[in-house]
Amino acid sequence: MEETFGNYSVIGKAMPRVDARAKVTGEAKYAADIELPGMLWGQIKRSPYAHARILNIDTSKAEELPGVKAVTTGKDFNGFKWGWSGPTRDEEPFATTKVRYQYEGVAAVAAISEDIAEEACDLIEVEYEPLPGVFDPFEAMKEGAPLVHDNRPGNICVEYHWTFGDVDKAFAESHLVREDIFQTPRMAKGYLETPAVVAYWPGPDRLVFQGAKGSPYFPYRILARCFNLPLSNVRVIQPFIGSDFGGTKNDMTHCDFAAPMLAKKTGRPVKLVYTQFDTLTTDLRRHPMWITIKTGVTKDGILKATYVKAIADGGAYTRMSPLTMFLTGTCMTLPYELPNFKFDAYNYFTNNPSSAAMRGHGLYHSRFAADVQLDMMAEELGLDPVEIRLRNAIENPEPGKVYETINGVHMATCGVKECIEKVAEATNWEEKRKTKKVEGHKSYGIGFSAATYNGGTKLSAHNACAAIVRVCEDGSINYLTGASDVGQGSDTVCCAIAAEVLGVGLEDIDIKRVDTAFTPVDPGSYGSRVTVLAGQAAMNAAEDAKRQLVEVAAQQFSVTPEEVEIKNRQVFVKSNPQRNMPWERLVRIACYETPGKVIIGRGYSTQGITILGLADLSKGVGDIGTNYSFTAQAAEVEVDVETGVVKCTDNSVIAHDCGFPLNPPAVETQVQGGSYHQGVSAALYEEFKMDQGQTLNPNLIDYMRPRAYEAPMTKVLHVVTNDPYGPFGAKEASEGSCCSAPPALINAIYDATGVWIKDLPAQPEKVFWALKAQKEKKQRKK
Amino acid sequence: MIGDFEYFAPKTVDEAIALLSKYKGEAKIIAGGQSMLVVMKRGLLTTEYLIDIKGIAALDYIKYDEGEGLRIGALTIHRAIEKSPIIQKHFRVLSEMEQNLATIQTRNWGTIGGNLCHGDPAGDPAPVLIALNAKLKLAGSGGERIIEVEEFSKDYLEVALEPDEMLTEIQVPTPLSHTGIACEKLMVMKGDMGVVGAAVSITLSPKDGVCKDARIVLSNCASVPLRARGAEKKLIGKVLNDSLLVEAGEVASTEASPPVDVHGSAEYRQEMVKVFVRRAATKALERAKAA
Ligand SMILES: Cc1cc2nc3c(=O)[nH]c(=O)nc-3n(C[C@H](O)[C@H](O)[C@H](O)COP(=O)(O)OP(=O)(O)OC[C@H]3O[C@@H](n4cnc5c(N)ncnc54)[C@H](O)[C@@H]3O)c2cc1C
Repeated sequence: MEETFGNYSVIGKAMPRVDARAKVTGEAKYAADIELPGMLWGQIKRSPYAHARILNIDTSKAEELPGVKAVTTGKDFNGFKWGWSGPTRDEEPFATTKVRYQYEGVAAVAAISEDIAEEACDLIEVEYEPLPGVFDPFEAMKEGAPLVHDNRPGNICVEYHWTFGDVDKAFAESHLVREDIFQTPRMAKGYLETPAVVAYWPGPDRLVFQGAKGSPYFPYRILARCFNLPLSNVRVIQPFIGSDFGGTKNDMTHCDFAAPMLAKKTGRPVKLVYTQFDTLTTDLRRHPMWITIKTGVTKDGILKATYVKAIADGGAYTRMSPLTMFLTGTCMTLPYELPNFKFDAYNYFTNNPSSAAMRGHGLYHSRFAADVQLDMMAEELGLDPVEIRLRNAIENPEPGKVYETINGVHMATCGVKECIEKVAEATNWEEKRKTKKVEGHKSYGIGFSAATYNGGTKLSAHNACAAIVRVCEDGSINYLTGASDVGQGSDTVCCAIAAEVLGVGLEDIDIKRVDTAFTPVDPGSYGSRVTVLAGQAAMNAAEDAKRQLVEVAAQQFSVTPEEVEIKNRQVFVKSNPQRNMPWERLVRIACYETPGKVIIGRGYSTQGITILGLADLSKGVGDIGTNYSFTAQAAEVEVDVETGVVKCTDNSVIAHDCGFPLNPPAVETQVQGGSYHQGVSAALYEEFKMDQGQTLNPNLIDYMRPRAYEAPMTKVLHVVTNDPYGPFGAKEASEGSCCSAPPALINAIYDATGVWIKDLPAQPEKVFWALKAQKEKKQRKK
Repeated sequence: MIGDFEYFAPKTVDEAIALLSKYKGEAKIIAGGQSMLVVMKRGLLTTEYLIDIKGIAALDYIKYDEGEGLRIGALTIHRAIEKSPIIQKHFRVLSEMEQNLATIQTRNWGTIGGNLCHGDPAGDPAPVLIALNAKLKLAGSGGERIIEVEEFSKDYLEVALEPDEMLTEIQVPTPLSHTGIACEKLMVMKGDMGVVGAAVSITLSPKDGVCKDARIVLSNCASVPLRARGAEKKLIGKVLNDSLLVEAGEVASTEASPPVDVHGSAEYRQEMVKVFVRRAATKALERAKAA
């Protein structure tokens, strides 16, 4: 039997995903599937240099090639620049004066076929003056280093300095103080669907854009500004999205500017589809970071203070780096109580492809460092890893109370203790930890970790999600939202929430893809915000529609509206359920009684903002999340001590506090995917290798991403905390598990071998030399 | 990307050879395309004429006769070799090699002939076939010829095929009695190309247990599959024990000149040659003793 949660009709139990049928039958159309009459193919001309001045671009030969219909360069955009926020607009659609990373776009072509477009790109002659570059933050910070942006001295992209409490005093009073440096590499997001777009102009000042964008209202706003159009004339129609994981599918790529511009020039639809090579060389990557972390604890292992210095490689443009660095810092005060905290963050421009958000955004780096260091300290103190976590874990606040961290982060629910306890019990932790397993050249170990992530992320400016519930006269329902399901399952939970509130079934609700001409504006799919905020919008819209119907029912039954209830498609009087009518009948009466009603429920989210306000990124105070998920994880590894090859075994358990699992199997699979595909994979396999700005492994053979063979079948346990700020108690699911896997694995490798791998990923060669050094050290001691 | 080419799909070896002779040097054979397409998509290879031989049904077979040994048609897919009961019974090492060659999807389409003709020194089949003393049958406009697998690889992605020739058959002799053969490779994930690999064949004298013959072949340690002859010498003529096998690995490591790439440094690979020669040799010795 499937586990069910709460006493509900629709939510809290397994439900089929509303998009499942379309996806398995192939009915679902992705951007690359779109074909339109007269459509042209676009292609991008890219720079071979990582840093060079552009002296001249000659497009004449390309224009003369038969079949070429238009060529565009950055000049056509009249100095337009864009960025993640107003003050950080530092990027042009195509570089005009200088390229800042290898394969940055400098021009684009539209032609009658892909091959001709590609040939035409080869015919574009660009004269460059190569410039010396900076390829990591340590080069970038040097006195006199070449500048990536002439107006950004020192190549500093983002810098934060926060102090909460008195860390120096706390370190002086600590029994044990440790400082370590941890490193996380640049990583690919891992979506199967590469960027793709089709754009056309149905009228001289009307743009239609169908792109693989997880946050369609980003291009809606950016393209309106770029082409000087009223927002009402920018129509972004959302195709199905082949997953996202942050960054590229929120932000713009060269193809997102090329298609509209080339379509404008030719008067025909233009399509561009990135190859896997384009994606792996130019799409946004996870930031490489160097985390220096200093922590002081009492002799009982109670955390007294943490100082973190985070140095990041931001790449060529700012993109979301201000948010990344904020998230890297803010989470240091949870899931454990921390009375004193200091944070210095430095994010540098380099001549590498830009870095940006990736699942587990920011927290992933520093929580990895902190949770591995916690194990190191536990060992020095002779404490068990589970015990030290339990001693420091934030308690679940009493109902009605809110816990506040030293940097002003608030939470009404915190299930981390329960998560830790559940995982310890499910893995038989103490026993397991004691039994050292060595079989031939294989050594086994188990590691523990705990993590957190913000759900319902809110940034400055527009934050509300909205929904429209349109009740049709036969009782069926159209659900309209601006929130995007990029594969995470949010369409299903939003429909389920609406169905639960209205008292109908999931199958009664039909959800449309986002179309900015019809759906309400939405911030986007990032920061685990959709279920929490679009979910609240679903609730509010459904309640609005229900209120309108209940009024009609009350008249029919001659009772007050408060006395009417709708459940399982039956409308009845609460005190006398015999007095009832079917849902369809109520809807028909409402719509057909002269003059007839049009039942449209509308709602938007208010949660989080109204209660707790917004975070101040530069000061590091306040809430970025509406609420916070918690995770504990134990992972077992098998280490081949002769080769350094590490595998994560099936003996891995995660407990996840997502508040309330609206669709439990979706939570479980998201948690497994987050923990395995982007957690285990980050710990053991994935890394872009670079040489002077050039990506050395831009294909999926050399950029190692594990397959099903390597997937541990992690067990997922639910911890239900019913968060008051989430719809039906929900928080976020699975970004937390993306953050808990790397420390659990690194701690497990230590348990198996006695070697600490502080820079991810623990690829075989790295582990091999570390084991060899350890062996030699032991021999010297003897 | 891949560019334009004229496409042919001959149904017989003669037709294929006629096309090869006609377009001498301008034509390229494609079998499963599992290696070719990767190279073509990266723009490293273009061709005017593409001869798709996948439809030559006569080259898809596995035959066994104790005297003649094993015959595998060049178009036999990896998965067929992996799953063949004959091979599992008499040439188990070939089936084991196939189990870790790429993913099931690739094994279901890629052919043994294509693998050998691709000439990748990191490929798995050639070292095992060299350890097995196998030969290749090549057919061309001048008729057929037989060549040792060991002689076939000339350089990185270069094999001893004339422009009008194709590979038709792999011939594996029945091993001498008291022979054990095994292969091992370093994979980070199952089905990866080996970071390094070793195939080892050990033949013992039934009288005194002395090692009569040893063949040690390394993958991804040179521009072609590499016979570690120095390491073989360490073993031949001796009664084998663990420390001799360790020594053989150490000698093989000095014979190897592995590449440096994103999957490992030369130093690491050299260390790994020690491990994988020892592991394969240990298994081969066990098997020789049991045979
Ligand atoms: C993801 C992936 C993983 C892989 N992993 C491994 C691995 O772990 N180990 C390993 O050994 N290989 C591996 N490979 C390589 C691959 O499996 C083989 O090289 C492949 O099976 C070649 O067979 P094919 O029929 O596809 O040859 P094709 O790609 O069609 O041809 C390869 C070359 O051989 C030539 N050719 C083909 N047949 C003949 C013939 N009969 N006569 C003359 N010339 C011919 C072609 O002209 C071409 O030059 C991997 C490939 C992929 C895509």
